[in-house]
Amino acid sequence: MKFIRFLLRRLLFMLVTLVFITAMLYGIMMLAPVEARAILYMPRSDYGQGSQQLIQEIIEEKGLDDPYPVQYVRWAVNLLRGDWGWSPSMRDDVLPALIRRTPVTAELTLYSVLLYIPLGLASGVWAGWKRRRFADYGFRLVAFIATSIPPFILGLVLLAIFYVGLHWFPIGRLAMSNKMIVDSPEFRTITGLLTVDGLLNSRLDITLDALRHLVLPVFTLSLTHWATLGRVTRASMIEELDKEYVTAARGRGLSVQWTVWRHALSNALLPALNSSALSAASLITGVFVIEVIFALPGISELFSISAVDAFSLVPDISATMGFALYGVLFVLPLMFVLDVIQAIVDPRIREGGLK
Amino acid sequence: MKGLVRFAVNWRNWPPFLLVSLFVFVALAAPLLAPPEDPNHPSDARIVEGYTDPAPAPPDENVVLGTVAYYSLGALGDANMLHFDVFYSLVWGTRSILRFGLITAFGAATIGVLMGAVSSYVGGALDALLMRVTDAFLAFPVIAGVWLFQTLMQTAGMRLTDYTNFSWVTVPETWFQRWVSAWDIDPVMLALIAFSWMAYARIINVNISVLKQTEYVAAARSLGAGNLRIIFRHLVPNAIAPIIVLLARDVGGMVVQQAAFAFIGVSGTVNSTAIPEWSRLLMLGRNWVIGQWGNPFVHWWVYIPVTLALILFGVGWNMLGDRLNVLLNPREVVK
Repeated sequence: MKFIRFLLRRLLFMLVTLVFITAMLYGIMMLAPVEARAILYMPRSDYGQGSQQLIQEIIEEKGLDDPYPVQYVRWAVNLLRGDWGWSPSMRDDVLPALIRRTPVTAELTLYSVLLYIPLGLASGVWAGWKRRRFADYGFRLVAFIATSIPPFILGLVLLAIFYVGLHWFPIGRLAMSNKMIVDSPEFRTITGLLTVDGLLNSRLDITLDALRHLVLPVFTLSLTHWATLGRVTRASMIEELDKEYVTAARGRGLSVQWTVWRHALSNALLPALNSSALSAASLITGVFVIEVIFALPGISELFSISAVDAFSLVPDISATMGFALYGVLFVLPLMFVLDVIQAIVDPRIREGGLK
Repeated sequence: MKGLVRFAVNWRNWPPFLLVSLFVFVALAAPLLAPPEDPNHPSDARIVEGYTDPAPAPPDENVVLGTVAYYSLGALGDANMLHFDVFYSLVWGTRSILRFGLITAFGAATIGVLMGAVSSYVGGALDALLMRVTDAFLAFPVIAGVWLFQTLMQTAGMRLTDYTNFSWVTVPETWFQRWVSAWDIDPVMLALIAFSWMAYARIINVNISVLKQTEYVAAARSLGAGNLRIIFRHLVPNAIAPIIVLLARDVGGMVVQQAAFAFIGVSGTVNSTAIPEWSRLLMLGRNWVIGQWGNPFVHWWVYIPVTLALILFGVGWNMLGDRLNVLLNPREVVK
């Protein structure tokens, strides 16, 4: 029962966060001239060519000179209706464009999280347990190197070696021949995640090909986060092992393994899980950077397209706002899942005793 | 003083200290290391004459670390190849990169400390509200903020067609845009400050919530100290140690993040004056990293020096943070 209340509280927080962030986004956009904001309501055919008459009409019709709260509510209602505006640089509606690109980003995020969180926790616990032994020094060295190399540089080096040099792991999502199969009507798109859809269509080769394309981006993205998470876990593991209850447990004759497994582990995992929940947004930022480098057609295409279209006369406010809001919509579920895992590990959070 | 001695006697403190001092030294000695053409108005980049090839020119006696080429389109549609001196940009870029890192990290820390200190000291509903705001900010990816401010600044000087007499109408700038362009502020810097102060606020909040229960705060209040005096004279100095550690790490972290954004193209075009010189090198060189037959060393001077500089910069400040942590929070450090 209390667990359900915890879940409801988290969901409510997500809702409040969304309201706050949309209000902030519109507030920031109010710093732009009113003529620029008219782009949010640009008719679909009139790409990029902001004529003065048209813009003035939009400003009067949509009341863009109204006070902030009125305008914000009008914009938020439009968002809820699914009208996220029309992007002049993509020549496309923003929300459908975002939704179409979601599976790519989701797949990359999913596999990275599934890889780096278990590995980070495991290696942190291992290194903390084997403190000042070979395994610990090895972990610290690797983690130091992993956090020192910026992911965008690592990605580039890996591309040079494994894609251009050795032809092991290609860029993009699928090989051309498989892409044609996926686009053909026989292939049913169910989840949009190619690795899953391949299995559902009993096309193992497509799943394997999709996985092969994911190896480099997932590795590049996971490495830094794995190292950071491992370090936090190691530190909290050592802190737990130094506490008196561990000494007492061992004094009572419990084996070392049992003490670590039963007592220290769950206490040590909490700060680590908490830190990864807090850095969910930076993970998503990393996802977008990696997508651009490995030419994955994910959500980040929105800004790679509009950056190429630098000569378009009208700055793309609809795409910018849509991207920002959608990015938050990506972070919130991730934070939610990590919070729930924390609550499962720690009864204090679950029962609402701890904020 | 005692702290300085303690810092100096441990050999582990020397590598980060030397790394950071190296960058400060290069920044200060830039006019000696890479003499500018006009000493009174040194520019951040030097364009080398005599190279017309579209490919970057390899190092020779003229340019120590080669050049990167920039294909610029003139006002009359005339195209010319501009070759930037890599070594010069690297040396003079140290100044802008240090400025970028320090301003961004200090900006974020200032906002965070103010938020955290005020909320935890006042407590109650305001504390709950400000901390929920902090949590909401935590869900916002920085890259979206960078693009947001970028677009905001793009709308400055936006032009609209007037079809009645077929002319341009330039949209007037808002106060914010005037302010940003008057101070020549990088929108990326603005976004990084606006969306990465949350860690500071959370740390300060937790620390002060504990500290304000202590007896010396009650003593200070009974002596008649005001709220502001208690916050900034008693509470913040005692809660500041982890902030300094985070600050040192952030100086490097912000710079590396900024370079990543520049590299993937969200932080504006090559022409932008606000972009630090190192990031411009990365932007100009990114298409030359993978050379013929996948050999990444054909045009090595285009990206290896600046990449190494970035890595060393990040590592230096990060290690400095770690060592300050040992010095300032000896209890929390687990060896």
